[in-house]
Amino acid sequence: MTTTTINGRVESLPDDPDALLIDIVRDQLKLTGTKLVCGAGVCGACTVLVDGAPVASCLMPAQAAAGKAVTTVEGIGAAQLHPVQKAFMAHDALQCGFCTPGFIVEATAFCDQWRATKGTAVPSREEIGAALSGHLCRCGAYDGIFRAVADACAGRFDVDNVAAPRIEARDKVTGAAKYTVDINHDGQLEGLILRSRDAHARITMLDLAPARALAGAVAVSLLGDDKIVRYVGEPIAAVAASDRKSALAALAAIKVSSEKLPAVVGLDAGRKDGAPVVFDKASRKRAGNVSEAAGGPAPWKQNIRGPTAVFSTRAKKARSWVDEARQANNRLLVEATFRTATQQHACLEPHAAVARFDGDRLTLHASTQQVFHLKEQIAKRYKIDHDKVRVIADHVGGGFGSKASLGTETIAAIELAREAKAPVRVAYDRQEELSVAGYRPAAELKVALLASDQGGLKALSVTAHADTGAATNSTIAGLARLIYPAEAKDLSDFDVISNLPPGAAFRGPGGPPMAFAVEQSIDEAALRLRVDPIALRKRWDPDPNRQRLYDWASGLDIWRNRKPQQNGRYRRGIGVATGYWLYLWQPNVKVEVAVKGGRIVASTATQDIGTGTRSVLADTIAREFDLEPSDIDVRIGDSSLPEGPGSGGSRVTASVMPPTLQAVRKLKAAILEQATRKPAPGSNAPWRELIARSPDIAVTEARGEDGKNTAPGIRSPLREVGLIGMVFGWMMRRFSNIAVGAGVPSSVQVIEVEVDTWLGHVRVLNVHTGIAVGKIASPALARSQACGAVIQGLGYALYEARELDPNSGDVLTAGMEDYRIPGIADTPEINVHFDEAGFDHVLGNSVGIGEASTVPTSAAVANAIYDAIGVRLTEIPIRPDRIVAALKGRTAA
Amino acid sequence: MSVATGEVITAPEFRAAGTDLSERRRSGLSCGSIIDLTASPDTIGIAWSTDGAARIGALTAIAAVASDARLAQAYPGITAAAQGLATPQIRHMATIGGNLAQRSRCWYFRNPQIACLKKGGSDCPARSGNHLYHVAFDLGPCVAPHPSTIAMALMAYDAKVTTDRRSGLSISDLLGDGSNGATDNLLASGERIERIELPAPLAGERALYKRAISRSYAEWPLVEICVRAMVTGGIFQQVRITAGGIAPVPLRLAASEAALKGEPANAATIAQAAELATSGAKPLPMTGYKLELLTGLVRDVVERIVV
Repeated sequence: MTTTTINGRVESLPDDPDALLIDIVRDQLKLTGTKLVCGAGVCGACTVLVDGAPVASCLMPAQAAAGKAVTTVEGIGAAQLHPVQKAFMAHDALQCGFCTPGFIVEATAFCDQWRATKGTAVPSREEIGAALSGHLCRCGAYDGIFRAVADACAGRFDVDNVAAPRIEARDKVTGAAKYTVDINHDGQLEGLILRSRDAHARITMLDLAPARALAGAVAVSLLGDDKIVRYVGEPIAAVAASDRKSALAALAAIKVSSEKLPAVVGLDAGRKDGAPVVFDKASRKRAGNVSEAAGGPAPWKQNIRGPTAVFSTRAKKARSWVDEARQANNRLLVEATFRTATQQHACLEPHAAVARFDGDRLTLHASTQQVFHLKEQIAKRYKIDHDKVRVIADHVGGGFGSKASLGTETIAAIELAREAKAPVRVAYDRQEELSVAGYRPAAELKVALLASDQGGLKALSVTAHADTGAATNSTIAGLARLIYPAEAKDLSDFDVISNLPPGAAFRGPGGPPMAFAVEQSIDEAALRLRVDPIALRKRWDPDPNRQRLYDWASGLDIWRNRKPQQNGRYRRGIGVATGYWLYLWQPNVKVEVAVKGGRIVASTATQDIGTGTRSVLADTIAREFDLEPSDIDVRIGDSSLPEGPGSGGSRVTASVMPPTLQAVRKLKAAILEQATRKPAPGSNAPWRELIARSPDIAVTEARGEDGKNTAPGIRSPLREVGLIGMVFGWMMRRFSNIAVGAGVPSSVQVIEVEVDTWLGHVRVLNVHTGIAVGKIASPALARSQACGAVIQGLGYALYEARELDPNSGDVLTAGMEDYRIPGIADTPEINVHFDEAGFDHVLGNSVGIGEASTVPTSAAVANAIYDAIGVRLTEIPIRPDRIVAALKGRTAA
Repeated sequence: MSVATGEVITAPEFRAAGTDLSERRRSGLSCGSIIDLTASPDTIGIAWSTDGAARIGALTAIAAVASDARLAQAYPGITAAAQGLATPQIRHMATIGGNLAQRSRCWYFRNPQIACLKKGGSDCPARSGNHLYHVAFDLGPCVAPHPSTIAMALMAYDAKVTTDRRSGLSISDLLGDGSNGATDNLLASGERIERIELPAPLAGERALYKRAISRSYAEWPLVEICVRAMVTGGIFQQVRITAGGIAPVPLRLAASEAALKGEPANAATIAQAAELATSGAKPLPMTGYKLELLTGLVRDVVERIVV
């Protein structure tokens, strides 16, 4: 028997040649700080030190560690936190935290070596970027990571203690934070899902008996009652067994026969006459949903659902003006067709659920954006009493919209656990995560924008076809109604359904593709009108929040000192773009703020998917009581708490802060009323004394309506568009439990790029993002969100695209090496400007930041590239192949 | 998780560090037996002859190659290539022999549900399907570019490979000419690479390596090149250019080399030679861009080498 030393303890290694080091660390030793993400050595989440050198434990054979010393993240901060860990905490160099242990391990090795050879010199961004190039963070925490690593190397964190703006930061930098994939009950089985190999087929026979015959294995069918699978990867059945290997054997034992049906793949094929139909009328309710709210009725013929054109205004007029302008060769008519790519959420924690029944009570750990609503969905689907279902999500390794439904991982875990009478974990592998777990649909947008001779915006026409796969309800063109008022607008949205996995909501669904097309068209109009692009936006876009952002943007040195176009190999350019999202909040949200055992405890059934919800609550309450955030216990991530909001639609802050503040006010009154002794006169911390002496008191408040004290020009954007908007708003509230508030969260971004015209490489040099989402509740975390939104937007603009086999519908980019998200070295300098006005009518004055802040990025990049090279890139991602083709006037493949 | 449909590799496979094989085991692509390679003094580390020629053991880690000061002095194209590939964690594990013998990164090959030439299939699904990252020199039935950056750099140095059965193999002897789509190399079943022998460098030669990618790091090359040159009196005396990412095997860019040799080291000559880099190219419908990247890379790297 061979052994290795892990965190100072001698451990035995199995003889199985397929055992990998990560299996020993996570499964044998339960050191779950080390994360399995890509399984291919790309993302670095599994990084451990072997004899001091960082290695990918997901690839290293366990036997290769024989006789060596292994250090995991748990071993790094065991005695006392490493300066790198303290620096990550202080600089908020993390969000969801799932990649954090890997970064910590690598960065400590880098820092230790740096300090040994270079003392307290400060490493450059380039040096840090190269050292951490084997790590990926989907939240985009790179900006903080740069600062943290530089400061740790410089010796600025050789101190005993640090303040962390994110209250759970310590758990995340030490690997102590438990995610759903880390849950390990006694006797827990591992579940796997059998998926369709065909893009379209009727399952004629499904025999689970051979799988069930295997020792310890259970199997359930996941087939719909029509027995039709409509995409490669559609679930057919699920199995569970004692470990992954046994579960794989059970999966292989299942007998399936199918009859292939004609299939159609993608946006272009799906639109062709006579293409095979994916959903017949009877099966349309099986289609998924790519938006944050339920959709309205729309025409649906074969594979094309639409047009949804309710946000048009004087559409006929718009069409006829555009036609006239086209015939007259009016140079104030801007027309172009834009294409955006399918963007995968690529959460680093995969979709995962662990189900456990205790009698008739179900406890479900789930990687979910909606603990409370998921509980209700499960109770309804399985007809279990609401109080007998509990959904727990202490930490969630990213979501971005993809974890906002009752998904296959949860259904499989529950049904397998019920069948097995044992806890079952189902966690998607990376191929599943990057193929069937949802995505932002690709889209084709045809834009016609007509400026009037007087320099006004006369007509805007946007027709969007979205590549939604086995799903519907894309709204892209419609979003162009709520910005840039025109005399007439013709806005039509179509879903193009095909035999591809269903799309899902993704951070500002429809917003980024709309901005990519419309903001480039605005830019082009500014060129033709010979008006400064920011000045034109200021003229055409009266929204008061954005008016202030335009003033900020046009005052930036980088904007005022723009240079004329260059001709050399490397050409720099600067672009601007605008984005917005709706201010949404969730009615019925309740927050309990209580004194328990002399401490303040806040409770609500929401969750923190990396967005910082725990800290928003702690910071808000701490401010009110003049305490430190660490004095507040925040309880979230548990559906048994008072109803909390889902983490979608940027709604959490705006939903929890008003009831929290109301509850604090009432709690203060109750504490004072019950106080037997007043604080000492002149006390520095009167509330601390009062709370410490207070009996237990709990106050629960519900989210009330906003005030009427809106600032001038601040209205509900839906009200502004008249009756249809009001109907839309009513439907959102009635069917999706989302209220649309007054005022529009907005972002204006100014981005500088450098294009290498020889190698087609685009380097983003710096980004200025101005954000108006009201008062910032937790500044460091809001900055992290703003930077992460930009970084994700840069991925959308420059790197990310799902690639398919055009015939079979197989997703080819099903690994992290082929699905390319930004790395730390791709991260530019990011300057964040918060404009905190505009939401005085919301108690606490704060609304959500997550979505508005990512909408304009791809358009600002494209406008900057145009400014640099004089060629407009109408398709993203703007990869080297597209740059070199565009420079040659060729269409890229 | 879908069940593998038999489009898998069942033959026994050698394992050095496992950075390629472990992923294929996890996905179910490879399921034969594993033969672990263990290092002996002859198969690990860097040794030098008195004439200044180096010998690199096949099990030497990429990071050890990348950080070796004497190698960097003598064969800067090889150390730069070693520094430029994969990620720091992979470089610490992966070996130079494993890099030569690694399997294709083609996204069809890597999918255990899809048949292809390298898995006993009858045709190349990438050719008729999505080949965005595939070859621009269509030299054989399989259109996946060879994944070994090290092979491309070694080719520039006329390195010879010694196996447990044969010695003196050139990179072309080892990897073939691209006409055999069924394999990634021409090693016989059970044959293992033991070491790499490098000829002594020329006095005064310089070398650079660069890859074109969309991000900054950690991406398989769209195109990569290694250039060795000796310039005296403003004239290219010797030039060797090899390229990867564009063909089923690493290629020498002979036309570019010929256009430079004996010519003055100026921008016009270099630009002309760069245009010739694509001589003989046969791009696929989606890979035409690689020719522009190849031209740009040759121009970029040769210009920098004469500075």
